[in-house]
Amino acid sequence: MSEPLLEVEHLVQEFTVRDRGGAKAGTVHAVSDVSLELATGETLGLVGETGSGKSTLARAILQAPPPKSGSVRLRGVELVGLKRQKLFEARRQVQMVFQDPFGSLDPKWRARELVEEPLVAFKVGTRAERHKRVDELLDLVGLDPTRFGGRRPRELSGGQAQRVAIARALALDPALIICDEPVSSLDVLIRAQVLGLLERLRTELGLAYLFIAHDLALVKQVSDRVAVMYLGKLVEVGPAESLYREPLHPYTVALLASIPSPDPSASRRPVADTIRGELPSPIDPPSGCRFRTRCPRAQDICATEEPPLRRLGDGHLAACHFPVGAQESNQTAPALAGGAHDAATD
Amino acid sequence: MSTNGVGASGPGELPAGGGEAGLSTDGALLEVTDLRVDFRQHGSVVRAVDGLSYAVPRGRTVGLIGESGCGKTVSSRAIIGLLPETARVTGSVRFEDQELIGLRERRMRAVRGKQIAMVFQDPARSLNPTLRIGNQITEAIHLHADVSKATAHDRAVELMELVRLPAAAERFRQYPHQLSGGMRQRVMIAIALASQPKLLIADEATTALDVTTQAQIMELLRDLQQRLGMALIMISHDLGLAASFADEVLVMYAGRGVERAPTRKLFEHVRMPYTRALLDAIPRLENPPHSPLTAVPGQPPDLGREQVGCPFSPRCPSVTDKCREHAPPFEEQEPDHRWACWHPCGLERTS
Amino acid sequence: MAVPPTETAVPGLMDPATLGPGLVPASAGGRFGRLRSIGGIWVPAFLVLAILFLCFLWPIIGPVPSPTGGSILNSNLPSFSPGHLLGTDATGNDEWSRLLYGGRASLEISMAVTAIGLLVGGLLGAFAGYVGGWRDSVIMRVLDVLIAFPALVLAVAIAERLGPGEVHTIWALSFFSVPALARIARAATLRVREQNYIVAAGLSGSRHWRTLLRHIMPNILPELMTFALLGMGIVIVLEGALSFLGLGIQPPTPSWGNMIASGQGLLSAEPKFVLLPSAALFITVVCFNLLGEGLRARWSAQ
Repeated sequence: MSEPLLEVEHLVQEFTVRDRGGAKAGTVHAVSDVSLELATGETLGLVGETGSGKSTLARAILQAPPPKSGSVRLRGVELVGLKRQKLFEARRQVQMVFQDPFGSLDPKWRARELVEEPLVAFKVGTRAERHKRVDELLDLVGLDPTRFGGRRPRELSGGQAQRVAIARALALDPALIICDEPVSSLDVLIRAQVLGLLERLRTELGLAYLFIAHDLALVKQVSDRVAVMYLGKLVEVGPAESLYREPLHPYTVALLASIPSPDPSASRRPVADTIRGELPSPIDPPSGCRFRTRCPRAQDICATEEPPLRRLGDGHLAACHFPVGAQESNQTAPALAGGAHDAATD
Repeated sequence: MSTNGVGASGPGELPAGGGEAGLSTDGALLEVTDLRVDFRQHGSVVRAVDGLSYAVPRGRTVGLIGESGCGKTVSSRAIIGLLPETARVTGSVRFEDQELIGLRERRMRAVRGKQIAMVFQDPARSLNPTLRIGNQITEAIHLHADVSKATAHDRAVELMELVRLPAAAERFRQYPHQLSGGMRQRVMIAIALASQPKLLIADEATTALDVTTQAQIMELLRDLQQRLGMALIMISHDLGLAASFADEVLVMYAGRGVERAPTRKLFEHVRMPYTRALLDAIPRLENPPHSPLTAVPGQPPDLGREQVGCPFSPRCPSVTDKCREHAPPFEEQEPDHRWACWHPCGLERTS
Repeated sequence: MAVPPTETAVPGLMDPATLGPGLVPASAGGRFGRLRSIGGIWVPAFLVLAILFLCFLWPIIGPVPSPTGGSILNSNLPSFSPGHLLGTDATGNDEWSRLLYGGRASLEISMAVTAIGLLVGGLLGAFAGYVGGWRDSVIMRVLDVLIAFPALVLAVAIAERLGPGEVHTIWALSFFSVPALARIARAATLRVREQNYIVAAGLSGSRHWRTLLRHIMPNILPELMTFALLGMGIVIVLEGALSFLGLGIQPPTPSWGNMIASGQGLLSAEPKFVLLPSAALFITVVCFNLLGEGLRARWSAQ
């Protein structure tokens, strides 16, 4: 069990922005030098807000479109640079569930056809065998094939449509499913249903998930390890519990403070103490540490030197010159005084 | 008037949401009584709101919580008369002793935007992309007050500073697309506040924003509310948000109110199983990874069909035959705590 | 970036379509909304079918005399003569029959041209939109050249080159319909291509041709069909113009266009020879337009 299922190294994805005349007006640094690993059967949560690059990262892993540079290895096989037939084969092992279930299902196709498509494309089994498998898959995700098989996406509710998308993702028995905000567009109670389904499938089928979301509490609930992204960079990675109890990166602290707690008596740290200002443009990200423009702890060095992702705990890494120490994370924030007077921790 | 939360507040910490004291409805700013909204088309009737009653005291925040289709948005539009022609509204909505249902459009305009303002979910679609944001704010000012252009301009900048929009004077001349989502929402709030309304309705105002931005905007709203003495109706699907920011919470399901209480009381003694389900479905940071989320099966009911019995009965873990046959009334059953359930959580089952 | 549950996404003023499950949007149009939504598609559809029936089936099953080969003894009979409801023309041909057969010719040509436009133009445009890059540019530049010409000028030039006759007319008019529909197809494809279900199809292993034919085409077809129907009206008029100019269908075979042309001389004496085919042309075009409009309204509401 030594070889990780997925290895991403120094992944870079960029998009050219063109002005109205068609000339190049800048480059969006969507993903900048991201490396991570995922073991078989593990759930890695990926958290980030707008512009973090988490969805772009997911697409780059799937080579849709391929990244500008970097390496993506699935069970040791390098995906970057694979063409046609080989990529086609590799796709069997990684599938994706999208955020908007209705956007990811062809509105003209029926549920049964949608779930069958991967099987048809890869010429799996005979027609009868495929139909049987489709029924099995629909059952597996909690949809009665006789009732739902013939329906088109607009005849399904959000939760049901997402289940169809999950069934489709399972069709080829992938080892890894990338879930890009799979429940964000669903109602609260339906979310719990779909999450429960994903969890059940995980244990039954031994699936690994790359679970992408903007809700840290949600991600923590379903993940073994969590990675936090900001403006194209990985700022913190670690076991889910450690991230929660001892967040190292100030951005993680801000995310935690932003989560509304369903407990009115819980004291809340005002978010304004943990993060300020607005998200910078990904076309022109800040020099050095990209978070420095919003960080209450930023100092001069943060602008000149980009902090590397360093191991600061057991399996817990953060990219910060002044990571938050355990003793600090539970205290109220020091007054925001330009940051220059903050005591630096190790 | 309001007590800022009980419990230790250290420097830099916010008071907890929800006062301990009960909220009286004497002199309530807004009183909704038995509001019903039907949509008729092609012979069928959809009951979007089916008997909703609540009150908003001056200067307080009421959280209207529910999932999609529960009627929270429709009911708030009914209050300010923004429903399409196909809607039929009955019941009573009294705003400072004025009945709003059935009010002529001309007189409604004196209320809407001026005394009751609304902030919507998607600022990108609510702002005119071809007008500078400063002009959109001054337009709102001019609509409700007869002032000179210069005065309006100054007031607009004041408002922008009030909503903590950085570099207000420069932003005045910018267009919406040059602003981030959070900033656009601040502009929306500034527009809403232009006439110093007594009541602000925030309809999922932060749902489309990032988590950190959401927290910032909510804190801003709370701060503004306390400073301006404004009442706030906070519409959301997020109970956690209500816990942090609302004084009183009203949970809706299938067009009806199903539980209502001051925030702390509601969370400490959840009675209605639907509210319980909502709470249980929220992922908690304290939960260890892979802990199961209690999931209630089924889906919200089809509002085009006649409801018999409690609308939650097909999905309720505590359901009995009585629930399926007789809809429980929405009544005050404990001091200041109303719910509609035959078998509330935490109480002895009535046979 | 939080995205709200699908049903609660509400633009500035409430759009009844987004009120939640179970709430179906009321059709726009106020009091007559319901009537209008039925009338919008079914009435023009019925009329179009009626026209098609009259022009294609009725002459076969009903008592319609031949449009050509009439005896000069019967020439210029007035309307409501026995056996000739609309009278006869200068050479003794029944006018009603000429109207029907003329319609058949016009419609045959228009439908053929539109079908070619849909098939060739649709596929070409979808392919260009899907692959992008230099192939897209080349195809579109070639088509742009054709679009740059005013439709009638183009048609006349080609028809003149090829000579008169039904088949040549179809060729000539196809030079108009193919680029027009290709452009529509390309635009629609560009939009559909970005949808997640196309990405999902690729991840499911669908190869490009499969995706193009089974995902892209079905989803751009509504838009294409709508424009094709609207375009039918244009093509019918163009055919009329060609025939009027002597390039399309040649007499004695009737077509509405050449009927108008030959009736010109008798305009003051016997206006019906111009008015009848003109009216027929007008009604047909309006019906196709209404049908196309109705379908467009229906599909864009979805």
